[in-house]
Amino acid sequence: MSVSTVTKEQFKSFVAALVNSDQKVVGVQAKDDKFAFGELTDADALRLDYDVTILPPKKYVLPQKETLMNFEVAGAAKTVCPDEKMVLLGVHPYDMVAINQMDELFSQGEYDTHYMNRRDNITIIVCDVVTPSENVFASSMNTATCDSGYDILLTDIGDRFVVEAATEKGEALVKTINGAKEAAAADTDKRKAVQEKNIASLNKHTLECKPSDLPDLLEKAYDHPVWEEKAKLCYSCGSCNQVCPTCYCFDVQDEVNWDLKTGSRCRSWDGCLLSNFATVAGNHNFRENRADRFRHRLYRKGKYVPGKIDGQIACVGCGRCISACTSKIANPVEIYNTLMEKA
Amino acid sequence: MSKPRVAIFDFACCEGCQLQIVNLEEEILNLIDVVDVVEWREAMSEQSHEYDIAIIEGSITREEDAKRLEVIRSRAKILIALGACATMGGLNKLKNNFDDLNEVRECVYGKDGQMPHLNTFKTKACDEVVEVDFKIHGCPIDAAEFAQIIRSLLVGKTPFVPDYPVCVECKANENICRYEYDEVCLGPIIRAGCNAPCPAAGRECFGCRGLVDNPNVEAAQEVMDKYNLTVDDLKQKLVLFNSK
Ligand code: SF4
Ligand code: SF4
Ligand code: SF4
Ligand code: SF4
Ligand code: SF4
Repeated sequence: MSVSTVTKEQFKSFVAALVNSDQKVVGVQAKDDKFAFGELTDADALRLDYDVTILPPKKYVLPQKETLMNFEVAGAAKTVCPDEKMVLLGVHPYDMVAINQMDELFSQGEYDTHYMNRRDNITIIVCDVVTPSENVFASSMNTATCDSGYDILLTDIGDRFVVEAATEKGEALVKTINGAKEAAAADTDKRKAVQEKNIASLNKHTLECKPSDLPDLLEKAYDHPVWEEKAKLCYSCGSCNQVCPTCYCFDVQDEVNWDLKTGSRCRSWDGCLLSNFATVAGNHNFRENRADRFRHRLYRKGKYVPGKIDGQIACVGCGRCISACTSKIANPVEIYNTLMEKA
Repeated sequence: MSKPRVAIFDFACCEGCQLQIVNLEEEILNLIDVVDVVEWREAMSEQSHEYDIAIIEGSITREEDAKRLEVIRSRAKILIALGACATMGGLNKLKNNFDDLNEVRECVYGKDGQMPHLNTFKTKACDEVVEVDFKIHGCPIDAAEFAQIIRSLLVGKTPFVPDYPVCVECKANENICRYEYDEVCLGPIIRAGCNAPCPAAGRECFGCRGLVDNPNVEAAQEVMDKYNLTVDDLKQKLVLFNSK
């Protein structure tokens, strides 16, 4: 596949053309003094220099709320299948890694048609990080760069972008960029320098072990006092779940229409920190204590999910939970490091 | 099968929640397709003593209101408290913060304060007087949530009412958290279901839907410290809707 360079002006013209086509384009834009992914209607609004978005791009593969099927109370049901095509512009490498993990999780075992349909309809353009966010620790999680999942990889090398097409879909899009030139060795060297810098500097918190050591570390940490200590301040507000690119739990509810004969089944984001997350039939809640729920999230990231996807750690170091937690207790690095101290 | 008979009653309140029902507009027609509204002072002149579902708006502040509510309870199969005034006392409980209710009367009504119909006691939520089957939270209620709860009840399904904090919906809507600006927001301890309109508008949550079942109030001291705020800052916000 091709590696080329384009000037920033040329890239902007390309985005403008995309925005004006009938293709849905989603990109990162400013939201007050933060950033968020949203539908792009103006190429000038795209902010590839963003630090981090409030919510990760998972909202396009697993929306906050979606209808799974419409049903008749009497029995018949019809699955609703999402088929909207879109270009997702400006995904950071750590978020790409998270989507790659979810792709594995939603396609293994019971294949999730809703998730996978959305995913298959999305063309992803990843861009290497330009501005590190206040709490990013992708360096520690080996997610400062990524090498799969995207259709196009974009790297800002100062006056130009290096544009790498990674799939047929990506190649076809790159072909529409007017003025793209084959990248010279000097350009790919510059790209390498940017990536190496990110590998070293997306490190606002430093995990004091290899990510691959986490499952064993957690194996012995179940009764560690840190869970109680931190959870004392936990509001069970689920913010740490909501903003996490690798949290994928959902709740399913049926809603009935005014005719009282038809309705729809919807799923919406759930979170393992919420007090009723683990409540099952008969009102039995098997994680009633805050500390149990607080611990569960860190075990999901460091042990349980890795057990399902060949040891990949389900924390990609985006730092969002650290910023989102009102009580300032959610920092995974701080907790994992504490476990090491006393282990 | 005959349609369930519904009666709507108001007590001490601003009637804003009934207005939300009226605001359902076309959906009102859907509503009266599936239920018989037999009494609703704000919208009709008839009265009836026979109903299956009683919807109560407002708080109980007088002896005669408490008696009236008891009678309604004895006639209804299902009793629903509508809006903050009914579910928890809401704004009306502000006066419970004063020890001397006479003083409150005089402050509010001046020299008319001693008229007998103003002889009120401390504000009570409906469930402090009678058993309440369902609560529709908010000041005012959310019309869509009201509709969803009514439809659920009509098909015999327990309505879904969140027991998680406002933060869940706030985050899902990608609002910027008020704590980012070191402002007190009650979102982490208040029941969701409103879809967090206040933070979306750049304001804190005032707590109009009441506390979640198990709020972590013990955490407040330490958490407020982290923002150079105090528990008093938090309490001052709570007083508005969540006075005892
Ligand atoms: S656990 Fe926190 S830092 Fe790790 S991926 Fe989730 S939100 Fe990001
Ligand atoms: S964001 Fe913080 S307070 Fe909220 S549930 Fe997570 S750890 Fe607890
Ligand atoms: S809850 Fe609010 S809107 Fe509803 S009646 Fe009471 S004061 Fe009015
Ligand atoms: S603004 Fe309020 S409701 Fe929203 S996340 Fe922050 S604390 Fe929670
Ligand atoms: S955000 Fe808070 S104050 Fe606003 S409607 Fe919701 S519960 Fe009420």
